[in-house]
Amino acid sequence: MKVPVDPYRLPEDKQQLMKRAKRLAWITIAFMSSIIVVVGLTMGSSEAMKAVWIEDVLSLVPPVAFLIGTRYFDRPPDDQFPYGYRRAVMIAFLSAAVALLGFGLYILIDSGSTLVMAEAPTIQTVSIFGRRVWLGWLMIGALVYSVIPPFILGRMKQPLARELHEKALQTDANMNKGDWLAGLAGVLGITGLAYGYWWADAVAAIIISVEILRDGYADLRNSIAQLMNKRPSDVEGKEDDPVPDKVQHQLEELEWVEQAWVRLREDGDVLTGEAFVVPRNESQLLDRLKEARALATSVDWRLHDINIVPVRSLERR
Amino acid sequence: MSPNSRARVIKSSSAYALGLFILCLSVACSNLPRDPKETLRSVQTRPLRVGLVEHAPWVVRTTGEPAGVEVDLVRQFAGSLGTTPEWHWGGEQEQLEALQDYQLDLVIGGFTDRTPWRKYVGLTSAYFTETYRVGVQGPPPLESVKGAQVAILRGEPAAAELEQKGAVVVRVDDLSQVTGAVAAPDWQLEQLGRTGTNIELDSVKHVFAVPPGENGFLKRLDEFLYGKTGDIKGRLQQQVSMK
Repeated sequence: MKVPVDPYRLPEDKQQLMKRAKRLAWITIAFMSSIIVVVGLTMGSSEAMKAVWIEDVLSLVPPVAFLIGTRYFDRPPDDQFPYGYRRAVMIAFLSAAVALLGFGLYILIDSGSTLVMAEAPTIQTVSIFGRRVWLGWLMIGALVYSVIPPFILGRMKQPLARELHEKALQTDANMNKGDWLAGLAGVLGITGLAYGYWWADAVAAIIISVEILRDGYADLRNSIAQLMNKRPSDVEGKEDDPVPDKVQHQLEELEWVEQAWVRLREDGDVLTGEAFVVPRNESQLLDRLKEARALATSVDWRLHDINIVPVRSLERR
Repeated sequence: MSPNSRARVIKSSSAYALGLFILCLSVACSNLPRDPKETLRSVQTRPLRVGLVEHAPWVVRTTGEPAGVEVDLVRQFAGSLGTTPEWHWGGEQEQLEALQDYQLDLVIGGFTDRTPWRKYVGLTSAYFTETYRVGVQGPPPLESVKGAQVAILRGEPAAAELEQKGAVVVRVDDLSQVTGAVAAPDWQLEQLGRTGTNIELDSVKHVFAVPPGENGFLKRLDEFLYGKTGDIKGRLQQQVSMK
């Protein structure tokens, strides 16, 4: 089937940024995998370490989803998926958000009950070069290591996410913030444990679980909003995107347009949707629609596949 | 370098500094970790309360003083702390419940790290690994026990593995009376003058039980036991030959 829609192409300058973002995602996966191994090896029976580990494992989802999504989202629409593949990433995000909420709740209940039952965690020693070393020190070493890469990577991703208007990347950056916060809380928990405050470990785990729940809740809200075709917002999901109003305004400026109404949705990073226009008369309508379409698409680099729908009036039929 | 990236470098180096600071702080205090319930400190001024669960040759009940490999180790450990052991005989459940509630400082009884009690009490690191295998008298080495007669001490759990491997299991009360193949831990095979084959049945890691969360006491005990690992085999053989 020939689809009368050009596949979307990122502008040249954005393509460079996208390359960097992909490289960052790969670096994140490499570092987080090494962190998962190190934290897993030193986990012992510490609740805080378990919480950090789960947070770190789940933080693999955003970069993986981003890489998979950006691999497929350029595919042109076809018979089976006539709207293209740009929404693929959203599915990954919904599942990641649900996983975050589930694990966050699990850690919260688990460490909460440890606290209530006053179960003091027993941390053994391990043999290193013929000496017995308390595993807690190794945990702190592992946690310090787990703090540094996400701290730096998260900060490198944030400006890219804004430039590319890539919510997947933004989620990734947010998750990295959660990672290093969790690591620091873990360090405090284990240090407290070393000083004989048995509850410090469980309290740190609870703080981490709240952080995970917060991440999960924000992601769930965002992904549900996108799946529900909520009006576009900025990359942090805080403010309304001005682009739909701009498009509407531009169309209303056309002398043959009497009235216009625009609705847009986010397909990943791309904005798509319809513009309903009421033409003053029907002469050369097809040419004019083509012109309106070119105009609407030129307002912002993210606009793509805008349908201009001529209607007699904007009143409800 | 843009102001933005400079700020980033400053922030990331402060994260490093914080991490290093915490690490130095912790390593500098060599008396860490501490016990939440101060076990290590209080046993300096009172006896070490030790729960005993009978399990020869680890913990052996005699008419006089308790004996056994683990009992001897605890005596030495108490000596190294400048205290004396106070023995409490009892069953496994009551002893470990008392330990969980900090009414005992230590429980021994040939425990391995597989004990389901590990959820409720603390365990030391494994101080001795006991490997059960099939031993024969001289060559030729046995390749498989399928259909072969193998003797094992009555009541040994490793018999299940033997059965699974298709051996004809003979349960006996005294392995030294057996002339054919036997299944026993390495140290015992050596004592019986058997050659260990590659047919491994089980491997168990021996531990002591300590009160939950008493990490300072546990570390001290781990350090003590680690230094004794090499003697355990000899002590076991000595214990068995005394019987």
